[in-house]
Amino acid sequence: MKGVLATDRRGVRELGAEELVGWDEVTHGVVLNSFETELENVAHIPPEERPYSDFSSYTATVASWRVIKPVYNRDICIDCQNCWVWCPDTSIISRDKQMLGIDYDHCKGCGVCVEVCPTNPKSLLMFAEAEDPETALSQWPEKKKKEKK
Amino acid sequence: MIEIRWHSRAGQGAVTGAKGLGDVVSRTGKQVQAFALYGSAKRGAAMRAYNRIDDKPIINHAKFMLPDYVLVIDPALAFTDNITENDKPETKYIITTHLDKKELIAQIPELQDKQDRVYVVDCMQISLDTIGRAIPNAPMLGAFVKVSGMFELEDFLESMKRVLAKFPQKIIDANMAAITRAYNEVN
Amino acid sequence: MAEKMELNDVEVWDGNYAAAQALRQAQVDVVAAYPITPSTPIVENYGAFVANGYIDGEFVMVESEHGAMSTCVGAAAAGGRVATATSSQGFLLMVEVLYQASGMRLPIVLNVVNRALASPLNVRGDHGDMYAGRDSGWIQLDAFNAQEAYDLNFCAFKIAEDINVRLPAMVHQDGFLTSHTAQNVSPLSDDEAYAFIGDYKPVEEMLDFSKAVTYGAQTEEDWHYEHKAKQHRALMDSYVVIDRVFEEFKQKTGREYKRVESYLMEDAEVAIVALGSTVETAIQAAQELRDNEGLKAGVVAPRCFRPFPFNEIRDALADVKAVAVLDRSCPMGAMGALFNEVSAAMYTTPSRPLITNFIYGLGGRDFSLEDAKHIFREQKGHADVGYITTHIQQFSGLRGPKLGFYETKRSK
Repeated sequence: MKGVLATDRRGVRELGAEELVGWDEVTHGVVLNSFETELENVAHIPPEERPYSDFSSYTATVASWRVIKPVYNRDICIDCQNCWVWCPDTSIISRDKQMLGIDYDHCKGCGVCVEVCPTNPKSLLMFAEAEDPETALSQWPEKKKKEKK
Repeated sequence: MIEIRWHSRAGQGAVTGAKGLGDVVSRTGKQVQAFALYGSAKRGAAMRAYNRIDDKPIINHAKFMLPDYVLVIDPALAFTDNITENDKPETKYIITTHLDKKELIAQIPELQDKQDRVYVVDCMQISLDTIGRAIPNAPMLGAFVKVSGMFELEDFLESMKRVLAKFPQKIIDANMAAITRAYNEVN
Repeated sequence: MAEKMELNDVEVWDGNYAAAQALRQAQVDVVAAYPITPSTPIVENYGAFVANGYIDGEFVMVESEHGAMSTCVGAAAAGGRVATATSSQGFLLMVEVLYQASGMRLPIVLNVVNRALASPLNVRGDHGDMYAGRDSGWIQLDAFNAQEAYDLNFCAFKIAEDINVRLPAMVHQDGFLTSHTAQNVSPLSDDEAYAFIGDYKPVEEMLDFSKAVTYGAQTEEDWHYEHKAKQHRALMDSYVVIDRVFEEFKQKTGREYKRVESYLMEDAEVAIVALGSTVETAIQAAQELRDNEGLKAGVVAPRCFRPFPFNEIRDALADVKAVAVLDRSCPMGAMGALFNEVSAAMYTTPSRPLITNFIYGLGGRDFSLEDAKHIFREQKGHADVGYITTHIQQFSGLRGPKLGFYETKRSK
């Protein structure tokens, strides 16, 4: 079984790098097939196992649009699902109410997930795109103490 | 006719940069054209903006051009976008990067035979230091002033101040600092 | 009193901002709009000018383009100087009310920033929307660059509001290629601009309660035809006023407009007929062909798409051997509309040049100097052998196998 974070179909092509075909080869009525084959009960097949076609944005990556990225810290996360609810690009991967990670093929680095994260310290923080995740995790801030009035 | 192609990401200010350049150039009595083709592009998507500069009215409205200058204001686009498309033997490249020129060229095969026409400047860092945000368009203008030799820096800054007149003094000053620093640092 | 704005002798404006400045200087009383790409900045800037005290007018937000044009009709019937802007799908949604506006003889000015029509959805420029307005009873003026988008707005108000015309007018400019392209624009001062069009003189305005009127009456077969004929006659005859206004504008600014523009046509053997920014690209291509290949190429462009300048087209193309008429709109099952109209005009002349049709630039597809040169060279080929050597309808800049329709062979 493929892992939930599998990327074997996800983001396999750069958005906009499609081969440009002629008028005789474009689809009838601009109708685009989501999957490469017919599927029964698609709602019950997890995304990473669906045969998404090259017309689906699932197979396109826009990772290059990002300048900064969220890094996820499993040790602090309470699986509240706030980031999953708020992410405008459905780029928070969660299964059975458990936060699993970030879809870096579709995340644009907007930082909303960090903004809405309620833990102390936050379980998601923005780092430079080039930052290695291990280093990022090693730099995680300590819990902030409430200032006494 | 001088033709300039900007490689940018939506939100980095290439359109404003191209229009600002047009505005300044028009004050020297020249004819200018500044345009960008966008629409449904989201912030972060690769996009291009264009300038034409001439002594007579510019009537070519085609996007297609053989650029005299290619201005790359996003560091990653030098690697992912086709920045040498339709270039000429004399096309000059100004690329924003934190790398030095040799390091950059070593990583981009298309630039190998163009070493003497490639200029680098870290517009991202300069804009972060001066303006406080990653808006690399103003520093790129400073680098362009230096590389093109089309204007004296002082004259360009004076014109730019007038273009930015509607903004608060603090923003004008930051932009002047960004332009000046890029002018001095581009190499 | 609205505040005045100091403008430089030369500004760098895109077509949208140029049009917005014209609306400000015309002191338009009411703009009702439902903004749509790529025309949004026109009405957005009008709203900002009102908010900042530069216009004594009102920006009315509505729920759709149908509502926008309906509100414009109401405001114009009430007795105000009225304008708005739209594009593409928004234009299509306005169409129903466009006919009401022209039928009621309300001199509204509509800036149409030309954009392709869905489906597929597309925000870039082509002339699908402009063509959809061609039977709507409006005057249609076409700008090829930002300066002209500015100038033609003033001409549009002055023509539309003339007591002998009293018809609404559209000012067209190409989406992105003109609307979002900043170029040198020489504006008029606020006083000069306003003096050119003058105060709005209401005619049979609904707010004159001493002389109550009804707008929007119903007529069946006993009256409808005569009203339509009278309106058609007014639009046909409006050329007299259009020519006069263009002449007055030239006196004032030195910038000359004609209902049909001709470039490099004195000794031209072949010509391109086109609309929009393409006209200028084609002029440069023609000049380069003359300089480098000795090909006598010229360009003819209807500045005024409606009323269609039938006579002036005949005169402009009287001495050429081959003509390519370019349509930036897919005619869907017919020849291009501009081709049909130019061909009809030329059929009534003794010269009857060889005329072919090119569909091009749909959805913003680039039209380069080389594309224009290829078309000119092909016309030269037709002219040399004396018949059309290609399909009569062809497609410039289209990917895929060569597409073409209809052939002919005319012997000498």
